[in-house]
Amino acid sequence: METQLRELLAQYFPEAERIEVTGFEPIPGGYSRETYRFDAHVRTAAGKVEHPLILRKDPPASVSILQTSRAIEHDLIEALRLHTNIPIGRSLGHEPDPERFGEPAMVIQRMHGNSRTSDLFHDGPDTHQADDVMRHLCEVLVELHTTDISTLDPHGRLADPRGEGVDASSWDAYIDTTIDYYVRAFPTINYDPSVSEILDLFLTLRRTKPRALPLVLVHGDFNPANFLYEAGKVTALIDWENARIGDPREDLGWMTTMDILSNSKVMDHPLDEGGFLAYYNKLTGLEVTQDEVDYFTLFGTANIAVPVQAAIKRRVDGESTEFMLLYLAQSAGGTVPNLLRLLNYPGVPQ
Amino acid sequence: MLEGVLISISSDIIPNLVNPKAHASAQMMRSIIQGIRQVLPVYDQYLAEEHNEMMEVLRRVADTIDGSTGSAADRIRERATTLGAGDEVPIPLEREVVMAAHRELGFSLQATMIDLDELQREGNADADEALDVVRGHFGPRLVRDVQTFLVGDALLGRG
Repeated sequence: METQLRELLAQYFPEAERIEVTGFEPIPGGYSRETYRFDAHVRTAAGKVEHPLILRKDPPASVSILQTSRAIEHDLIEALRLHTNIPIGRSLGHEPDPERFGEPAMVIQRMHGNSRTSDLFHDGPDTHQADDVMRHLCEVLVELHTTDISTLDPHGRLADPRGEGVDASSWDAYIDTTIDYYVRAFPTINYDPSVSEILDLFLTLRRTKPRALPLVLVHGDFNPANFLYEAGKVTALIDWENARIGDPREDLGWMTTMDILSNSKVMDHPLDEGGFLAYYNKLTGLEVTQDEVDYFTLFGTANIAVPVQAAIKRRVDGESTEFMLLYLAQSAGGTVPNLLRLLNYPGVPQ
Repeated sequence: MLEGVLISISSDIIPNLVNPKAHASAQMMRSIIQGIRQVLPVYDQYLAEEHNEMMEVLRRVADTIDGSTGSAADRIRERATTLGAGDEVPIPLEREVVMAAHRELGFSLQATMIDLDELQREGNADADEALDVVRGHFGPRLVRDVQTFLVGDALLGRG
């Protein structure tokens, strides 16, 4: 893989006389892409420069959970980097040919900062930074949500990145066609009656739509594991593979869900602004209510439940032997009690 | 799940072990886990059958030494009239039979949800109440499943 990597890097650094790759190693964690860190030492006529980089590769199709395009992700990252102040590393390029690395891949700049966001909570070493980091994180999210979609997605490829018939021409069309996709997909995830609450989730979302808000570009996986921080600031917002046109409240809802799964407290900060939602409303004027966040917590849960549970079903059905998918079947259960509470299931402790 | 653990031990762990003791331990793990897989489907049934048989054994032993005297014989007869007496435990149905019936009913409740949703979208308020009946079953059951099966406070690898 390192040889192939050097050959690819030669395309990104055409002026290079010599390229050396050091420290190539996998980055653990994350469930949808294989990622590796490395340093590229590029020697040109002007001298030698070290580039901290990441190779981000799709997993084999048989074990893939979320199938999205590295090309679209590359274009989005570069649009964000060039047209916003959102802290984001440069995407050097993408390799669509699976011959090189086994699957499509992309090379992106490795940003500095602490990725162990658990250090910000529960008596971790950086709890004193929590308010400032989350304040900045909220400001970054607001900038994302208030940037003109056409600037970030000029070709409209993020309206329906999964190719499931989602229509983003209006809020109602977006919500209706997205929920139609969820309901249509239920047989592909229905490996056991224990997922009946997911069916209930889809049907309830369809019956209880909230008020409309203008569609925006959403991160799509806005969660405690997808930002780096340093000295009270977010140094990078990462993992844009699930970005799409959507309702801004989806990012708020998903962070709420992942706070539970990750045992973090992002949504509680900044404390001096009354929490993440309150500060978001202060910056945007959208007056998003907790009930709306709850709806989009459910909406976001549905959005990720379809590909994750479909992957689990493929494992249960024996289409793969990927052990991680069995672990997901166990660990994803952590979201169920909160899901049941949001659906107002009787007999579920609050 | 246990089958998946076995596969992962074989494909993800053993090929990457260089320490002989670690290799041997992994092999032993495979053996024990496979044994557990074989025992689980019949464990409760065997327990109940053996329980009832042991009650009979206590009684038959007492009958066999009938007429014997002394404290040892008295103790045998005493066990026959205490532990060997009373109600036998019910023999559980075959696990596969129960699981199949459980699964069929679970899917029937899903079909009921879909039908209730159709009624609810027509404005049928009784269907709202009926959905709560279904939810009232699934809610505590799913919470119990999670409390029984979940390990740890957070997803591994989430920073």
